[in-house]
Amino acid sequence: MMTIAVPDTATRPGLWQRLTFSNKTDLFTRVLVVAITVALLFYILLPVYWMLKSSFQPNQEIRVLPPIWFPGEPTVQPYTNANRLIPMWRYVLNSLFVSVTAAGISTIIACSAAYVLARFRFPGATIILGLILLTNLIPAITRVFPIYFFIQDLGLLNSYAGLILAYVGFSLPFAVLMLRGYFVSAAPPELEEAALIDGCNYFDAFWRVILPVCLPGIAAVAIFTFLNAWNDFLWASLLLNQGEMKTIQVGIGDFAQEGGGVQYVNAFMAACVVATIPALVVFVFVQRWLVGGLTAGSVKT
Amino acid sequence: MTRQKYLFCYLMVAPAMLITAALGIYPMLFSLWMSFVEYDLLRINEFGTPFVGLDNYVEVFSDPRFVQTLFNTIIFTVLAVAATLGFGLLLSQVLNINYRGRTALRMLVCVPWFVPPAVASAIWMWLLNTDRSPINFLLQDFGLITSNVRWLTDSTTWGPFSIPMMSIVAVRVWNGLPFAVIFLLAALQSIPRSLYEAAEVDGASLMQKFWYVTLPMLRPVLAILITLLVIGGLGSFEINYIMTGGGPQNLTNIMAVYSYQQAFSFYRFDLASAASGVIFLMTGFISIFYLRSQLKGVA
Amino acid sequence: MTKRPIGPAGTNHKVLARHTATLALATALTTTAALSAYAQDITFWTQPQGDLLAYQDLYDELTSEFREESGINVSVEVINWSVAFNTWLTVAQGGAAPDCADMYWLHSFSGIGAGQHGPMPITEYRDRWPTLEEDFYEGALVDVHRNGEFYGIPWRVDIRPMMYRTDFLEEAGIDAPPDNWDEIVEQGLALTERDANGNVTRWGFALGANNNPGQTLMPYYWQAGGAMMSEDGRTATIDNEAMRTTLKFMQDLVQVHKVTSPEIFEKSADPLADFTSGGVAVVGSTNNSWPSQFDRDYPELEGTWALDINPAGPTGERDSFSGAGYWGVLYGSSDVEACIEWIQFLSEPENMERISQVSGAASPRRSVMTSELWTQRPWQEVMAETLNYGHTSQHPSAVWNAIASPEPGAVLYDLVYNTVIGGADIDAAVTEAQARMQAELDRASGS
Repeated sequence: MMTIAVPDTATRPGLWQRLTFSNKTDLFTRVLVVAITVALLFYILLPVYWMLKSSFQPNQEIRVLPPIWFPGEPTVQPYTNANRLIPMWRYVLNSLFVSVTAAGISTIIACSAAYVLARFRFPGATIILGLILLTNLIPAITRVFPIYFFIQDLGLLNSYAGLILAYVGFSLPFAVLMLRGYFVSAAPPELEEAALIDGCNYFDAFWRVILPVCLPGIAAVAIFTFLNAWNDFLWASLLLNQGEMKTIQVGIGDFAQEGGGVQYVNAFMAACVVATIPALVVFVFVQRWLVGGLTAGSVKT
Repeated sequence: MTRQKYLFCYLMVAPAMLITAALGIYPMLFSLWMSFVEYDLLRINEFGTPFVGLDNYVEVFSDPRFVQTLFNTIIFTVLAVAATLGFGLLLSQVLNINYRGRTALRMLVCVPWFVPPAVASAIWMWLLNTDRSPINFLLQDFGLITSNVRWLTDSTTWGPFSIPMMSIVAVRVWNGLPFAVIFLLAALQSIPRSLYEAAEVDGASLMQKFWYVTLPMLRPVLAILITLLVIGGLGSFEINYIMTGGGPQNLTNIMAVYSYQQAFSFYRFDLASAASGVIFLMTGFISIFYLRSQLKGVA
Repeated sequence: MTKRPIGPAGTNHKVLARHTATLALATALTTTAALSAYAQDITFWTQPQGDLLAYQDLYDELTSEFREESGINVSVEVINWSVAFNTWLTVAQGGAAPDCADMYWLHSFSGIGAGQHGPMPITEYRDRWPTLEEDFYEGALVDVHRNGEFYGIPWRVDIRPMMYRTDFLEEAGIDAPPDNWDEIVEQGLALTERDANGNVTRWGFALGANNNPGQTLMPYYWQAGGAMMSEDGRTATIDNEAMRTTLKFMQDLVQVHKVTSPEIFEKSADPLADFTSGGVAVVGSTNNSWPSQFDRDYPELEGTWALDINPAGPTGERDSFSGAGYWGVLYGSSDVEACIEWIQFLSEPENMERISQVSGAASPRRSVMTSELWTQRPWQEVMAETLNYGHTSQHPSAVWNAIASPEPGAVLYDLVYNTVIGGADIDAAVTEAQARMQAELDRASGS
């Protein structure tokens, strides 16, 4: 049916076929839903399409008014140009390294904290949870200078470590809160009680029993933190803005001209496409996991 | 046993607390402190940072632009959260049904997530430029409009609403929708099928099932999602800053942009921090409700 | 290491240091790889001009030539424009800084640096350039002096002559572009085109080539005989007839004659796209990089555009917006002498010619502008001529860039936007702006 989850079956009818099954009152709802969905898809995909098609057009064609929707003679020249103008692949690798490391570290740290916050009552637990939540309540931009000078004092300006540390710090509150909710719902207390009776200590119980059960949720949080780091411009532009170590988001800024214009619009769009793809690929691989991960626990039990 | 348990707890929380203290709590306290002193980059070397009490707050609140910005922020957040939730609920339902091409559709819907806000703003600026907007050309071709819609520059207002505000909200929603969809999709999958089956036996229509089964079951997840979206919306920055800079005539200015302008354009970090302090009060208010609902779950 | 007014950071320092060690370990390989390049003697930062790749290549050549000549290694870092401003703002506050650099906005950044960070005066080395006054345009030299101190050598001038579409003028039967404000209105009316629905398809006149109201105002205000502030930078001087005349002129273009787009100051405005796609016929104060960019990237427009010196204002003045980027030394420099040698090397006439050729930017060195390089195309001669009318856009107050900031809330932004676009009463707006600007100047001059 339209609005509910159906487990995978051998026959997977098309979306439209499903509509014909309906009774009369539902037909209207279904048509309306499909119509809105199509409109939403246009809205969602238009900018993506625009970026993509512009990255295959010569600059002259991009400038023409009225705008040309379909490239006359698609060319990959913008991509070779972009790669000539900035070390695109190097920047992408930098971004991947920073984002993956940050996501990994913050997920591990958040896991341990979220687990005990979800499972145990201990003095200060509420305060700790409150503090973690509080830190995200002030917009990032006013935290710029304290954090910049803190990283500088550590001697980590313009190093991967400094940026990774910052990303770990920013994604932790969110990761802890999400994972705590997940542990509460996905891993019933009986699980570790059983483990403790079997002679595990607390850490063993966490490591051997709880973590495996919660992997989908952990993967989901890892993806969120990865994307937060991947999409960031503000912090990367301050903490790591030099030479070959730049992340791709800052690297794209190389196209900027004094006063804000962009040089080589098509190459700029090509670089933007390239900056989008790695995150997309990561998403493709973990998509099923991600969706299952967020709240799967309550179904499992 | 208890001592061992506590030790374990503190050990597990320690790394997170240390990092949060350094990169979360310290900068936040620093920012709050700045809002109660004079922190002017042009004077700080000569005069230091004398305590000024509530002067910074008084100064921002006596700026009519700030008061307007405050209302803009609330409207912006309410609109963006409402639209994100509405579209998110609908899309997550559609993406939850099993049919051919579902995975592909999920991917397409999620693509905006991988476009960083800075890049998204640049592309949308192009799409919404009055004279070059392909959308305007399309609308003209279909005969729907005779003069170009000034998406980002029309300063006509209807109460607190204006076209640029709507455009900015649309971009914000565009960028934030995938997160909400995935979040809700996950929640939908945890609703037991038996509930729907029972509803079907009672002859419930689609809308009734949505209203009486889906929505109530989603409530806890919706609470978290709304909290996150509201906090994100109140602190939203990049899209507004890049696309309109708060204009035209301050119609799309929101708190974080105002704060950035005070700090980076006018070198007044004290006023910027006061503006952030106001955001802090608002987000703090929201999160008290969230915390209370979360803490109920602690055994 | 850095002096900041307060610093609870120190306490967190130790706690976190241990934790960071773990992180650092994970990234040790790559980090050391970046640091283990051969030892640099001095570091130099610059912002790109013209074609990015050509600019980087040129600096590679220059550094290797300089190394051979002097034995000094210069490590060059190209800072992109999207991060440049925040980078220099952190430098001025004690953030990571190079030994010497290509910089701008001397007054603000040295005001914030307050003698501890940021640009450092090098007055004692001024005699290394014994013929400085004869060799360089006066307007550009103003931008490297502050409180009587000398801060470096100007290397590029952002000079803004008028740019116009020859094809549109010809079409409208106009022989020459506007020569004064009256002709701007006259020709603007003839050049503005509307479609059947009344939508403007081509604006007759654009005041400037960016969306910054303060920068847009300046040349016209000077052409009307006005000045922003007293020479000591302590007294605001904008409440006068010149300001009222200028604002009235600009307001009329938008509100009465409707030959100028009311969207020029919005962030989404794109003057380059407007001009290249034929949406604008005349730009009163162009972007100095446009002509060379047109030669490089818009060959199809060849023959449809030209430059001319700025039209004369009511007092007959033809002041043109001018701002210089300069090479200077920074506080904390590891080797000032080496930096000076490097800047001396860069400022040699033939090197400045090479830099000007690659960057496409006008050179503040007279010999470059009269060389063969700058006399090949008609627009180049106009650019060189306009340098004589150059009026510096920098003013002797640290708060100047806040006053002229392109953000709403800045004094000049509000003044220009509210009157020209919003149609506000000019007298009241000017009076208010004068008071606000005076308050800002007082703030910076320490009272």
